[in-house]
Amino acid sequence: MIETSGLVKRYGAKVAVDSVDLRVERGSVYGLVGPNGAGKTTVLGLLAGLRHPTAGSIRISAERQEIAVLADTPRFDPWLTGRETVALAQHLVTGRDDNVDAVLVEAGLTDAADRSVGGYSRGMLQRLGVACTVVGSPTVVLLDEPASALDPQGRRDVLDLVARMRGTATVVFSSHILSDVQAVCDTVGVLDQGRLVFQGPLENLLANSGTPEYRVRIRGPVEPVIRALRSHDWVLDVERTGPEALAIIVSSFAEAESGLASALAAADTCVVSMWPGDITLERAFLDVTSAAERTADPTTATPATPATREMP
Amino acid sequence: MTLWRLEWLRLVRTKRWIALLGVYLFFGLVGPFGARYLEQIVSFSGGDIAADFPEPVPADGLAQYVSNAVQIGTLVAVIVAAGSLAFDAVPEMGVFLRTRVTSVRTILVPRFVVISAALIFSFLVGTAAAWYETWVLIGTPDTAGVLAGAAYGAVFLCFVVALVAAVASAAPSVLNTVLISLVILLAMPLVGIVDAIGQWLPTHLAGALASLPGGETSIADYYGAAALTVAATVVLFEAAVRIAAKREL
Repeated sequence: MIETSGLVKRYGAKVAVDSVDLRVERGSVYGLVGPNGAGKTTVLGLLAGLRHPTAGSIRISAERQEIAVLADTPRFDPWLTGRETVALAQHLVTGRDDNVDAVLVEAGLTDAADRSVGGYSRGMLQRLGVACTVVGSPTVVLLDEPASALDPQGRRDVLDLVARMRGTATVVFSSHILSDVQAVCDTVGVLDQGRLVFQGPLENLLANSGTPEYRVRIRGPVEPVIRALRSHDWVLDVERTGPEALAIIVSSFAEAESGLASALAAADTCVVSMWPGDITLERAFLDVTSAAERTADPTTATPATPATREMP
Repeated sequence: MTLWRLEWLRLVRTKRWIALLGVYLFFGLVGPFGARYLEQIVSFSGGDIAADFPEPVPADGLAQYVSNAVQIGTLVAVIVAAGSLAFDAVPEMGVFLRTRVTSVRTILVPRFVVISAALIFSFLVGTAAAWYETWVLIGTPDTAGVLAGAAYGAVFLCFVVALVAAVASAAPSVLNTVLISLVILLAMPLVGIVDAIGQWLPTHLAGALASLPGGETSIADYYGAAALTVAATVVLFEAAVRIAAKREL
């Protein structure tokens, strides 16, 4: 398990991480999302011990060498081969190098294993980084944008690999590609300007965020329907999304459920279909971060407590 | 694959060993030749100018080697050492190593030892070449003086590597490490102009091979500098470990 309490990291006057209370359950895959500069890499650096917290505490239930870290743009000595790099990664952690071939197969690097790393593409380096991360069978894995440089197939492979770690390792996975997070993470933390503005199961984020929206397909003229719908106070906005398609933003699903059908009937239109709009992680994320921006006061940072780091 | 093998491969595959061995061997061969034929070389290049030099003695061969090898050799040594010891210069590579070891000492020890060993080996090969060529062209140099001078030179080279390690643990790049290390090494002889200070400085050891074979100095004249250099090497290496451990990536 990973737990932080009141974690703060300041660089001079700039607060990069502000009182973050992270809680990652053992064996879960935790997605750390946020816009660029939100503090994702800094939080991972603090968890990895690569940066020292200004205040707060970090508790990780794993020995130092059971924690594997993958940088966002992994780089290695270019004159080593891929096989030698993975062997070094395993040997440093376990003192053996008996798992190298299996991991190279899993990372899809078997054919390039004996080539110098200097000739690898960015995607291959990312795969090699993933191979080096998992080769020591870590119990805690910290991945900083692990799929950002990969083609769709490579991204799928890495996400599958991350998903397979669920249950055997505790994974913290930072990404700005929300669909990746949605694909593999069961818990999400949303960082914005260094603050953790949401933390919890993915379903909670999707259920509790986002403006309720209904999608409607009609037959016939659209403009009179839009005017008719806008006359209701529970309709916040109506957007035309196609020649005969509308997105209706409502104040609540309950009011839409009771009033939308009759409102459309009163507008004298033919309804082809009607369904509640999906709340994507993108939308939920934007809602959470924009709500946080409205409430945040940049002049007040959380008071600091002395920094501690705890590992068994 | 261990960190020791990694350093060995770094020397071999990046051809750094050629730079190290080449520079010392080159000056080991050229130094005594220059000492033996200096008069002819000056006469040949100077046209009508008549040069009159004293007859070369065996110590001159090694002095010529040292005068060139100490400057150019140390420059190459600093560059090669910085390339290895500034392992955080590419932060992603630093992350790879730092997150897999319990102490940064585990990373630094093989680098320090392998670079020092390669430097000393190259310096000794150069010294052997200079000794042999001096024997052939001029005469036999004092064996005890050469051996003691070579030993003091080796201690100086370890100091250079430790200095680079300490600078690299705080400097942001390989280039910065090289420049700062060179400034410190160049400042030492300037400070050493004051004889009372100079005889205690590590740079005093660098010239031992030039002075000892000719009997200008005795082995005992370098005891103080050697003791201080060994102590400084240990302190600098420990400083490198401590500073690197506190460094953030």
